[in-house]
Amino acid sequence: MPQQKIRCLLAMLGTDVHNKGIRTLAQLLRDRGVEVIYLGEHNTAGGVINALIAEDADVVGLSYSTATYLHYTRDLLDKMRTAGVGDVPLMLGGLIHADDEPALREMGVRGIFGPGSTMDQIVEFLQTATGKTLPGGAAAGA
Amino acid sequence: MDSSGPKSNSDRSAADIAAQLEDVSVKLSRTATWSGIETQNAYGPADVEGMDYARDLGDPGEYPYTRGAFPEMYRSRMWTLRNIVGYGAPEDTREGIEKALKLGTAGVNIVLDTLSQEAVDPDHPAFSPDAGQEGCSLPTVRDLEVLLAGIDVTRTGVAWHTTMMIYPLVVAMAKKQGKDLSQLIGSHMPDHLQLRLSVGNESTVPTALGHRTTVDCLEYSSKNTPRWSLGCPQAYNLRERGVPASGEIALGMAIVKLTLRDLAARGVGVDQVAPSMAWVSGADIDFFEEVAKFRALRRIWARTMKEQFGSQDARSQRLRIACHTSGRALVYPQPLNNLARATVQTLAALLGGVQSLETCTWDEPICIPTEDARELATRTQQILANEVGAARTADPLGGSWYVESLTNQVEADALGLLEKIEGIGLIKAIEDGTIEGLMDDYNYQFKKEMDRGERIVVGVNKFIPKPEPAPKRFSFDPKGMLAHLERFRALKVGRDQTLLKEKIAQLYRAVRSGENAHPAMIEALIADASIGEVWGTVRVASGLAYDPFRVVESPFTYPTI
Repeated sequence: MPQQKIRCLLAMLGTDVHNKGIRTLAQLLRDRGVEVIYLGEHNTAGGVINALIAEDADVVGLSYSTATYLHYTRDLLDKMRTAGVGDVPLMLGGLIHADDEPALREMGVRGIFGPGSTMDQIVEFLQTATGKTLPGGAAAGA
Repeated sequence: MDSSGPKSNSDRSAADIAAQLEDVSVKLSRTATWSGIETQNAYGPADVEGMDYARDLGDPGEYPYTRGAFPEMYRSRMWTLRNIVGYGAPEDTREGIEKALKLGTAGVNIVLDTLSQEAVDPDHPAFSPDAGQEGCSLPTVRDLEVLLAGIDVTRTGVAWHTTMMIYPLVVAMAKKQGKDLSQLIGSHMPDHLQLRLSVGNESTVPTALGHRTTVDCLEYSSKNTPRWSLGCPQAYNLRERGVPASGEIALGMAIVKLTLRDLAARGVGVDQVAPSMAWVSGADIDFFEEVAKFRALRRIWARTMKEQFGSQDARSQRLRIACHTSGRALVYPQPLNNLARATVQTLAALLGGVQSLETCTWDEPICIPTEDARELATRTQQILANEVGAARTADPLGGSWYVESLTNQVEADALGLLEKIEGIGLIKAIEDGTIEGLMDDYNYQFKKEMDRGERIVVGVNKFIPKPEPAPKRFSFDPKGMLAHLERFRALKVGRDQTLLKEKIAQLYRAVRSGENAHPAMIEALIADASIGEVWGTVRVASGLAYDPFRVVESPFTYPTI
C-alpha cells in the first residue's frame, strides 16, 4: 500500500496554559511518521481555521485542561462549517470528562482521547479518520 | 477460605495465576530517582567523604542553612497550612475563602482565572468564556474591593497565587484606602520569566518585557512595601512544565540571579530585596529526591547570596520556601490513589523544611478542588502534624548517608545546568526556545520511559483499574459571573474618562522613558483602568500589539513623544 502523509494540526484554544501533553503528543506523532503542524497555545477559532486552510491539514487535534472545552469546540466546529472545512476530522485530548463525551460526539467531534488513552488508539484514529496509512501501515497501530 | 469466587484453583490456568500475582505484587521497577539520578544498593560514609558539617550543612538556622532556615524549625514557627481558592466572580471566591477558613486552613492562596493571570479583561471577545473558570476574575480595583471587603491589607496577609497585575492592584487599593504602604502585608509571585515559559509563547508575555516588569515590581516593593513577600522565583510552574529536581533549582536560580543583578544596576542591593523573597517550589513524588532538593536548594541559595552578591544580612541568605505539592504527579485513573501520593509529597516537603504548604486535592486531575477533596487535603496535613510527628525535629533525615549524598548530587546537577543556562544567557535561552526545548525533551523522555515500562505510574501504565464512573466535578452557579461582567461593562462606561485618559497617557510615557512603570500602573488602576487596559498600554509603549491575540484594538489614543 502506498504511504500517504497525514498532516495533523495541533493547537490549543483559549487561555489554557497546560501545554506539556500536546507538546509531547506532537513529538510522539512525528515519531510515528505524522506530519505535525504545531500551532501552539492561545489560539482563537479563526486562527486555527486559517492555519488549517493554509496548511491543508487532514485532521485537527485540540487539547484542553480547563472546563470551557464545550464552548470552544462548538464555536470552532460552527466556524469550520462556515469556512467550508467542516469535514476535516477533529479530535480532542486532555482532561475531557466522560460525562461530556456524548455532547461532544453529537456536535461532530470524531475522536476523544482523555486520560488513559494510548498512542496506538490515536494513531489508529488518524488512519481511520483520514483514510490514509502511515509508514509502517497497520503495524504502526499494533 | 472464600468459596464464592467464580473459579476454583483447579480451574485456573497457570498463566491466570501468574497474571494475578503480577497484578498484586510489589516490585522494584526502577533504581533511578524520578528525575533520573542512578542509585546504589546502599550508601555509607565513603559516599559523603569530604563533607564538612560546619561548611556544608551547619545546624538548622545556621549558614548555609542546608538543615533548615530556622534553629527550632516547626517548634518555633509551624508551617502555614494553605489552601488555594478561586473561582467565578469576586463574590464567589470570597464565599470559597470563608468555607476554607472554617475547615481550619491558616492561610488562603487566591488563584485568579487564566485571563486575569495574563492581564486580559473578562470581556475579551475571543476568550470571555474563560472568565471565572479555574480562578477568580479580578480585572479592576473595584473587584478587589469586593473580594477583600472588610479585610485590612495591613493586618491580614493574603497570598496571591499569580504573577501579573495583582501587586499593582493591591497597592492601588491600599493607596485608595489611605493605608500606610510600609505596613502592607501579603505575597504574590512576580516572576514573569516563569510566566513566559508557562504560557509557551513569546507574544503573550514577551521575555524582555516580562523580565523588566519583574524588576520594576521588586524595585517598587523593596522601596515602598518592605513587609510584602515576593514569591520569586515561581519555580513550581517550571517544575510542573517539565524539569527534574535539579532543573527546578537551576532555572529558578538563573531567574533570581539575573533579577538581582538588574536590581543592583538600579541601586537596589541584595540585602534590600532578598529578605522579602521566597522560593515557590513543588514537591514531586520521589520522596528522598524532594527532601534532597529542598536541602540542596537552601545551600545553593545561601552561598549564592553571600559569595556572589555580597549579602551581609542572614535574612537574605536564609531561604524561605513556599511549597505546593505537585499536581502533575497526580493522575486521573483511580483518582483516590492521589491521596496516597499527595500524603508522601506533603511529608517530603515537611521533612525538607518548607515554610508554607498547600497539599493538592485528590481530584486535581479532574477539576478545580471540590469541597470534600479540599477537606481531605487539610486533614492530611493535620494528620502529619499531629499524629505522624513530621514537625517534631528539624531536618530529621540529615546525616543519612543516602540523603546527604543525594543532596550533593542534586546540587551538583543543578549547578551544572545553571552554568549552561548562564553560558547562553537566560533571556536568550528563553527567547530562542532552548529552555522550552529542554522541558519538551524531559517530558518526551518521561513518556518514552513509561512506554518502555522503565517508569511505572500506578493506574496509568500498570495496575490499570477497571473502568469506573467519572468522579463528580466542581461546579458553581454562573449567575455571579454574569453580574460581574455587567458590572465590569458598566464601570467602563461610568468612570471618569478624562482622568482615565490622563493616567493612561502618563503610563505610556513612563514605559517609553524606561523608568519604573509600577507607579504609573498603580495610578491608572486607581483611576479605574482595567488590567487589560493597563497591560495593553504597557505593551503598546513597548512596541507591541495592544492585544497579544490581535482581536481587540486599544480604546486609547497615545501621546506622540
